[in-house]
Amino acid sequence: MQVLKLRPPLLREGQKWYFDPKWLIIIVIVGFLLIFQVLPLIYLVYRAFFSEGKFSLQAFKRVYTYPLNWSALVNTIVSATFSMIFGVLIAFPLAWLVGRTNLYGKKFFRTLFVVTYMVPPYVGAMAWMRLLNPTVGPMNMALQKLFHLSQAPFNIYSMGGLIWVLTTFYYPYAFITISRAMEKMDPSLEEASRISGANSWTTLRTITLPMMLPSIVAAALLVFIAAGSAYGIPSIIGVPGQIHTVTTRIIDFVYIGSQEGLTDATTLAVFLMLVANIVLYLSTFTLGKRQYITVSGKSTRPNIVDLGRWRLPLTVAVTLFALVVVIIPFVTVALSSITVNLGNSIFSLENITFRYWERIFTRKSILSSARNSLVSAVTAATLGLLVSSMMAYLLVRTDVKGKKIPDFMITVGSGTPSVVIALALIMSMSGKFGINIYNTLTIMIIAYMIKYMMMGMRTVVSALSQISPSLEEASQISGASWLKSMKNVTLPLIAPALVAGWFLIFMPCFYELTMSTLLYSTNTKTLGYELYTYQTYHNQQTASALATAILFIVFGINWLLNKLTGGEFSI
Amino acid sequence: MGYVSDGFVCLCITRFLKTYFAIGSVIMKKLSLVLSVLLVLGSFAFATGSAEKQDATDQGLSGKLMIYTSMYDDVIEAIDETLEEVFPTVDIEFFYGGTGTLQAKIAAEFTAGKLGCDMLMVADPSYAFELKEMGVLQPIMISNASDLAFDYDKEGYWYPVRISNMVLAYNPEKVNKADIPNSFYDFAYDPRVAGLISMSNPLTSGTALDTISALKDKYGYEYFTALGKQKVKIESGSVALTKLETGECKVIMILEESVLQKREMDKSKIEVIYPTDGTIVIPSPIMSINDQWSPNKNSAAAKAVTEWFLSEEGQKNIVKAWMHSVSSKYPTPPYDAIPTQEILKNTIPVDWQSTLSLRNELRTRFEEAVAKK
Repeated sequence: MQVLKLRPPLLREGQKWYFDPKWLIIIVIVGFLLIFQVLPLIYLVYRAFFSEGKFSLQAFKRVYTYPLNWSALVNTIVSATFSMIFGVLIAFPLAWLVGRTNLYGKKFFRTLFVVTYMVPPYVGAMAWMRLLNPTVGPMNMALQKLFHLSQAPFNIYSMGGLIWVLTTFYYPYAFITISRAMEKMDPSLEEASRISGANSWTTLRTITLPMMLPSIVAAALLVFIAAGSAYGIPSIIGVPGQIHTVTTRIIDFVYIGSQEGLTDATTLAVFLMLVANIVLYLSTFTLGKRQYITVSGKSTRPNIVDLGRWRLPLTVAVTLFALVVVIIPFVTVALSSITVNLGNSIFSLENITFRYWERIFTRKSILSSARNSLVSAVTAATLGLLVSSMMAYLLVRTDVKGKKIPDFMITVGSGTPSVVIALALIMSMSGKFGINIYNTLTIMIIAYMIKYMMMGMRTVVSALSQISPSLEEASQISGASWLKSMKNVTLPLIAPALVAGWFLIFMPCFYELTMSTLLYSTNTKTLGYELYTYQTYHNQQTASALATAILFIVFGINWLLNKLTGGEFSI
Repeated sequence: MGYVSDGFVCLCITRFLKTYFAIGSVIMKKLSLVLSVLLVLGSFAFATGSAEKQDATDQGLSGKLMIYTSMYDDVIEAIDETLEEVFPTVDIEFFYGGTGTLQAKIAAEFTAGKLGCDMLMVADPSYAFELKEMGVLQPIMISNASDLAFDYDKEGYWYPVRISNMVLAYNPEKVNKADIPNSFYDFAYDPRVAGLISMSNPLTSGTALDTISALKDKYGYEYFTALGKQKVKIESGSVALTKLETGECKVIMILEESVLQKREMDKSKIEVIYPTDGTIVIPSPIMSINDQWSPNKNSAAAKAVTEWFLSEEGQKNIVKAWMHSVSSKYPTPPYDAIPTQEILKNTIPVDWQSTLSLRNELRTRFEEAVAKK
């Protein structure tokens, strides 16, 4: 893979270099992030305070004394916090059951939960507003009948409903992070605990959990940021129930179209950025130092816990969970895509149609949006993986000075809410500072990279850190060149991680909504935006067909890669 | 390895700047390299996204024509096909969005010095006044203007091209017409349907803006407050129609054309209620952008397309797309609708000038009233 060929041989004594090429890479990455991430964000903050050319708190006063904005701030924090808590509470046991126990069908479940990461989260909102609306939601009706209730037990258009949908569609972020850490945990500590007489439960509580803590915090953070900066779910579930979040307010403000609207959006965005940064900072400050402890240098296969008599009940519980959280919503959306009248039963022939499916393959705008998304997601994922691989090599295999700087910047980028990144790019990249890429796919690609590169980087870093450098050294001692040992030893070992890393960047970019909503133009509409427009503007069945098609593609690719890599591909 | 790097503690951005400047001039070269690589990649990506050009030139027309419109995609698709037959040599492209969305887009484009469209077919007539004032419109004189049954700009800056009617709708399979509001007034004040009503967002929809403007003139700003108390859901017409189908909503405020389309295409039973206190009639304009502002500078094609839309043939297509004709020469109403003249007997008038001058106030006050819990 070209990625690694770009890397020059390690600096050896006696060789003279005027300039360490590793720096070049660092400089290139830092330069890119400086121009497209750091400076735009600084400009955003500047604009919030200097909206009319001179320092003024007017905008702040206007925005923050407006009660609707206040409730949006509170709603954002409340919904993101609870989604984070519930998300981790779901993800940790699931990751443990699926990764470290002899649960029945755990491989299937793992794929199922990871796949949820790969579908657009707002598809969940589409399903749940149908299933749990207070007037006629079928799930509500069924529960009402079952328990003889006088009214529907759930109202999806509420804070609880919002948290439910956010949780069930953002917990996979935590699941992936936690299960990755769990799978490469050094089992000797757990063995030691067991040998010393502790049972499985005590070992889990006293060894596994504390060792996993940094990863859990990191996972929690991911869910918090993702839920707090989501646009699709709050706008479909929250807004009809008068629950606004900061993101929906920001996009409303931008849509008002006036300069004042833009200033107000900026001012709100600064708040969102601040919250995200504080959370990021606190979690790193308190727990960040401990994160490397769990990684063992040797390649290990974690031992599998026997669930004993709990094996069947736990499998049933996980199945139920999968049914409610994954299967039912997906099936709902799939059925909607072939239903003419959503008020009538799907089980009558005249109510079934494939017209909406035909539409998604023939409509010009849908096809061109799909092409745009494909081009921008592939470019973002490929460039992102390139950066990720170089960063992984720098971080794991070298101790070059300054390698932490780009790492830090990438982390901050992914921790910054999407809407903030998009807004900052719009304001700084439309010609004001010599670069005008507004209304092009380039600006999308850059935004996607800033936001999603880190998922790829972490995957490659974690794979590379599990490979002992002694293998490469052995190859080189035996006479192979640096390049050759890279090609023959390192690359085959981390190849599945490279594929997984590419996918972790590609998928969210492919259906991205929040940033695309702000950055799209006539020629650069994306699939996510198109789907969202169909859902909220043109026709929900067509939107459902499009969402189902994306699901099929995701499952298909996942299956194919699994086959191609001999089952080694996993995220 | 966790998500967060331990290097994070140094949050101060100044440190980057220091590092950045310390390494100095070497970076600048590399940066420009990265930039140019990115730009090349970007323009490649962009190029693959652009449409192929046609260069045939019979009828004397050629080139591209970009039309921003707020019509639904089903309607656009049908009209687009007809246009392709009528103007085979012009590459006509539609870009759709709610009127408000398009207004925001045009405002941004205006600031940047160039609009992205050659023609506009948005819903809010008051917007035509604004664009004319901004000096971006191209006057087009048509020969059959006297056939128009509605007001048009005498200097040719805009013409009405289709009539949309804001009405109420209900689902007779789920509720009785007698049990629900039959007027805009009751829609906001009838406690029987509290929490079970829905309407479009004046922030993104032009017809919704015109509607709340007319209702404010008739019933005052209290009408907005009443809607808020009524817990009206704010969403697009297609979402609202689905909620009517499922029974999640009992009555909705919606454009007549959306209901008619659903009746014809989906054989839906959903019915229009022409409100007893008057229908809100919105003649949507067609406008062309002048050469100074338009991207394709194709005013000849724009004129031809305008003339076609206002011809009998064009109006026939508008009616086929479930909207009412603006031409007295073609009075046939759309599928399942009552005649235009019937509707015009009982309307709530819209003051376009005040809609324009109060646009932000209307939107803000409406949002404040309905977005509160």
